[in-house]
Amino acid sequence: MGKLSGKKLILLGERDGVAGPAMEESLKNCGAEVAFSVTECFV
Amino acid sequence: MDLQNQQRVKDAADKFGPENIVVILGSSDAEGAEIYAETVTNGDPTFAGPLAGAPLGLAVYHILEPEIKEEADQAVWEDQIGMMEMVLDGEALAEAVKGIREQYSKYTL
Repeated sequence: MGKLSGKKLILLGERDGVAGPAMEESLKNCGAEVAFSVTECFV
Repeated sequence: MDLQNQQRVKDAADKFGPENIVVILGSSDAEGAEIYAETVTNGDPTFAGPLAGAPLGLAVYHILEPEIKEEADQAVWEDQIGMMEMVLDGEALAEAVKGIREQYSKYTL
């Protein structure tokens, strides 16, 4: 069982870095549940 | 960090228990990553948002840290994150978040 299994993830993505949906997709099968996922952007 | 997102972090910690939460950052620069990491561990350093004076001590990692990458689906990782991994300074980002984690996180993986 993975380290993230059973955890609740908060994914704080960034538009110029790694966006929330990309992290969500990559970690979809790690056994954790996404509490929420956002992508902030800075101008 | 956006004030609305600070509130969402606070609400999630209340709902699920801070020990069950792992915050994963996708920040592009080390300085920004440090501010985010500090906000979810020691509280909002600008004292402007709901996390001001709220040291939640959450486990916090950057998406490019090995602990997180090894948990991901590697094929999807390459597809979704591979390019940004080449562009961003993963080592500096990992060091920045690790530094804050070691200082303020009450929980780790």
